[in-house]
Amino acid sequence: MDENESKKLSRRDFAHRAILLSATASLAPAAIALEPSTAQNNPPAKKQEPSNLPKLPPASQAEADARFQFVTTLPANQFDDEQKAMLKTLCIYLQPALDRVRAYHLENSDGPALYLKPLVEREKKPQPIHTQSSKKS
Amino acid sequence: MVKDSVLFETVGELAKKIQSKQLSPVELTESYLQRSETLGPRFNAYARLTPDLALEQAHNAEKEIQRGHYRGPLHGIPYAAKDLLTVKGIPTTWGAKPFADQVFDYTATVIEHLTNVGAILIGKASMIELAGGMGYMYASASLQGEAKNPWDTRCWTCGSSSGSGAIVAAALAGFAIGTETWGSIVCPAAFCGVSGLRPTYGRVSRRGAMALAYSMDKIGPMARSAEDCTRIFAAIAGHDPLDRGTLPVDRAAFTYSPAADLGSHTLRVGWLTNAWKNYDPAVAKVVEAAHKYMKRRFPTMKDAALPEGPWEDAANIIMQSEAASSFSELIRSGRVKELNDPMGRVAGYVAQDIPAADYTSAQRIREILQKKMNELFDSCDVLVTASQPVPATPLDMNLLTGLSFPDPLGAIGNLCGLPALSVPCGFTEKNLPVGLQFIGRAGDDAAVLQAGRTFQAGSDWHRKHPAIKA
Repeated sequence: MDENESKKLSRRDFAHRAILLSATASLAPAAIALEPSTAQNNPPAKKQEPSNLPKLPPASQAEADARFQFVTTLPANQFDDEQKAMLKTLCIYLQPALDRVRAYHLENSDGPALYLKPLVEREKKPQPIHTQSSKKS
Repeated sequence: MVKDSVLFETVGELAKKIQSKQLSPVELTESYLQRSETLGPRFNAYARLTPDLALEQAHNAEKEIQRGHYRGPLHGIPYAAKDLLTVKGIPTTWGAKPFADQVFDYTATVIEHLTNVGAILIGKASMIELAGGMGYMYASASLQGEAKNPWDTRCWTCGSSSGSGAIVAAALAGFAIGTETWGSIVCPAAFCGVSGLRPTYGRVSRRGAMALAYSMDKIGPMARSAEDCTRIFAAIAGHDPLDRGTLPVDRAAFTYSPAADLGSHTLRVGWLTNAWKNYDPAVAKVVEAAHKYMKRRFPTMKDAALPEGPWEDAANIIMQSEAASSFSELIRSGRVKELNDPMGRVAGYVAQDIPAADYTSAQRIREILQKKMNELFDSCDVLVTASQPVPATPLDMNLLTGLSFPDPLGAIGNLCGLPALSVPCGFTEKNLPVGLQFIGRAGDDAAVLQAGRTFQAGSDWHRKHPAIKA
């Protein structure tokens, strides 16, 4: 594997990991233990920004920036600087996942995994089973 | 008081003693309650104990059993439920400060099922706030603080069923109920050295459970053996007209047969070669040994590979979008900023802005993935690999800046609603548990349970427990 390929993989891998972290995952991805524990009940106050944010293509970067602008400029949303920094990071982390999903080839006939399940009244309120035979003689 | 060694026994063993009246449900409940009061805070394992309810249920169980009305293997067994399941009149906090005083006027179906078979609720297990629905970067993302691993209290239990894992590992109850949207049963089971079943999507009713991602949420048991998971699953599985996500009656129900003929149907097992990119060296050794053991137990086992594609991306987009909807009021009101975790306070704002077209595309990719996985299961009944590539992580690790790893299997299993069972398969040199997971075709929970029971029939990893001084 040449160095360029290695770099590409490295970026992709990082983005892959990063989206896991940015996700609202019910499992925060486990991480390899590097340091002895100093358990705290509260998160450290100091901001720790990842140094290796994924490098996005220009169009993707523009979309991530626009998302950040949209989220932070809505009048109802008030964020301090630390929260804004986190939001910016999350917008960048989200983008590669959106890009990859968009790049995946789908045919028009590829339906979604979720389909409407019409509400059947008897399902909501189960009715007693009628024993009268409907057989035609 | 019941001896500690008895408290570490499996549900099956406790049940035998209860049925034969050698063990009193009241005494057992009192013992678990006392142990939970003493040790629970050490592990931040509980959101709250429910001693009044527990003792009432225990006395009822005792009376019934004395009268000869034995309801089955869970009768008189104390358990804990993750604090996102409603119990009428008792606070259900979802592990989150904005919901600290939340009380519902009805009880979750899964709790009702367990009550009906005579199980005794002794408390609500702590959890990651909103089950991680708004994202998190620290183990302390919980109203109850970080859950500490009974094997090493400097380490985390994993989330989001963090208290449930600690409770089972430390023998604070007979078993616990957890939930999984992505990894929240399998990972705590692995980190805590217990057995945990993530059932097929739709087999267990979620009525009364906090919704995170409607199309991915599952409820399942965590216990001290695969056999126990089988018994508990049989009690909680079933169609529920009040949860439209449950499967039809004939496909949701599960029957436990004690002799479930482990040898009657030889499982075709596929060892996954590409589930994890790298293993922590301490875990790699254990997994290698587990692979050899599996080869002996299942001589026809062959290698298998997961399909490649943007499955994690699709899963993330679906989960984030659905979570943003589940907690939209919390986000819009700004109360999401009361969450403990710095990421949890803001991630929902970004998730709300995921385009609907991308969400729908992710759902279309999901359908393609389902078909690919179905084809894979044509050649094997069960896939197997390590539950996690690392052992329990330090409590204070920053998950955003620390190392992490891709988890295609977690994405695939939860996107496709596949059943998975994690069982302990060994320990690292630092005495931290390592888990092995079995994954089956959707609906074939019986196969993963059979695989887990077969594995445990010839091993004793599930018998190990942490040395805990009272």
